[in-house]
Amino acid sequence: MTAASVSTSTQEQDGGPGHGPRQPVVSFGGVSKSFGTVRAVSEVSLELFPGETVALLGPNGAGKSTALDLLLGLKNADAGEVRVFGTSPTQAIAKGRVGAMLQSGGLMEEVTVRELVALACDLHPKAYPVDQVLAAADLTDIRDRKVNKLSGGQEQRVRFAMATAGANDLIVLDEPTTGMDVTARQAFWATMRAQVEEGRTVLFATHYLEEADAIADRVLVLHRGRLIADGTAAEIKARAGARRITFDLEGGIDEQALGGLPNVVGLDVTGPTVRLRSDDADATMHAVYGLGLYPRNLEVAGLGLEQAFLAITDAATSAEEAGQR
Amino acid sequence: MTTLIRLEITRTLRNRKFMFFSVLYPAFLFLAISLSYKKSDTVGNSGLSAIAYLMVSMAAFGAMTAVLMGNAERIAREREKGWVRQLRLTALPGRGYVTAKVASAATVSLPSILVVLIIGAALKNIRMDAWQWVAIAFSTWAGSLVFAALGVAIGYLATADVARPVSMLFYFGLAILGGLWVPIYSFPQWLQDLAGYLPSRPYVALGQAIEVGNAPHAKDITVLVVYLLLFAGAAAWLYRKDTRKA
Repeated sequence: MTAASVSTSTQEQDGGPGHGPRQPVVSFGGVSKSFGTVRAVSEVSLELFPGETVALLGPNGAGKSTALDLLLGLKNADAGEVRVFGTSPTQAIAKGRVGAMLQSGGLMEEVTVRELVALACDLHPKAYPVDQVLAAADLTDIRDRKVNKLSGGQEQRVRFAMATAGANDLIVLDEPTTGMDVTARQAFWATMRAQVEEGRTVLFATHYLEEADAIADRVLVLHRGRLIADGTAAEIKARAGARRITFDLEGGIDEQALGGLPNVVGLDVTGPTVRLRSDDADATMHAVYGLGLYPRNLEVAGLGLEQAFLAITDAATSAEEAGQR
Repeated sequence: MTTLIRLEITRTLRNRKFMFFSVLYPAFLFLAISLSYKKSDTVGNSGLSAIAYLMVSMAAFGAMTAVLMGNAERIAREREKGWVRQLRLTALPGRGYVTAKVASAATVSLPSILVVLIIGAALKNIRMDAWQWVAIAFSTWAGSLVFAALGVAIGYLATADVARPVSMLFYFGLAILGGLWVPIYSFPQWLQDLAGYLPSRPYVALGQAIEVGNAPHAKDITVLVVYLLLFAGAAAWLYRKDTRKA
């Protein structure tokens, strides 16, 4: 048994009110991809539905970029099937249903910003007017500048313009705000929200967890090529043990008794200080008092997505290593 | 797709250094080599003036230089920088990319052909009928598309580091075996027969047939068309199949 088998997937069931049977925008069925002996993506199955804003999280080397490449038809899966709008990724792109912004996507050199965006519009089957695309990506002021003379953040905006040159139904973004300062990042997500409000499905990979927490209504966590969690940010936090309980105890500490308390999912003792992670802080604290203990300096705090993320990826790593032994 | 073709041509024209050398290099070579020829020299027993033969060879050689040398390396570099990945996320079909690259190469080869022909007429006093000049310029230009497609295919097979040596190998190999430097009549018979099936020999033969007042041979045209389809097809296939990270 590995950690993957306990991943939660609730989205398919509670699709929200007012939704009949929906055709998935993206579906991965048991998809695997290896490079030599390294399994970059391992038996991933998932479905994305219209109107969702989905964050793809994972530590470096977790397989995020490979998963996006498979989704976009830039790489072919060794096993399993990738479908986009019920067709192959290449066909979906040819129909103009997918816009993508890749970290590794280079730009044509020796041409101006406007010329390049005009090219993207020309190639899109359902293109918007060039000047509208330039304005939406905040490029109007630098439209006559040469592409190879742009800053990192400006280049990202050009990539964004190319990804949104036409009426796509799905937008895929790989670490879109890398190289942007805070202001630019906020402006970027404001533009992105406008896209979401038009009913588009957005999938973005990121390593800024606060972005996932603030923007996504569904979070996928990839770890060593496996999908180890799939749910809302709140669900992911709950799974990791949503509350952190800290208190001091005088006298001896019975770690075994504390670890065996109801709803406790993590325990760390340093000197007199006890740190517990619990998915129901009320029940846990009730049991602490039930043991006849008298905790001092009690603090109960919610876990951020970042700690939740670290907790579940650590758990997955140790489960996997235990499985290999 | 027309925007991509126009943009590729614009980029090439903006690259002044590349244009300058591609256009002037074959012209200089023609002038330098022709110094060792006498006006009365003829090639073998064909009755063709040696300088006129050289002019057509050099026009062809210049066009090959222009389309083969720059293109393969530029494409390999664009692949490494991820521009081709970006393009593959658009609805552009594989033939669109190859067409645009061949068109931009043809933009460079046309002036390099014309400069060699103008020098031949103005400085070397080569005299032909007007239709012959036009036909030689056109057939040499059209034939250069075969090598432009080869350049695109090499750019797809090789990494940026090896694209230049690989295209050099094809370029010199094809130029020598095709009799672009040394008249083909000085080759042993078996090599002459083999050369007929390489793209470079039929390529110069187009212009040389026109020079002596004939139409280009059907066999030469067929060989070139087959190579054009082969190279362009391979390039388009490689564009779509390029699933390496590159």
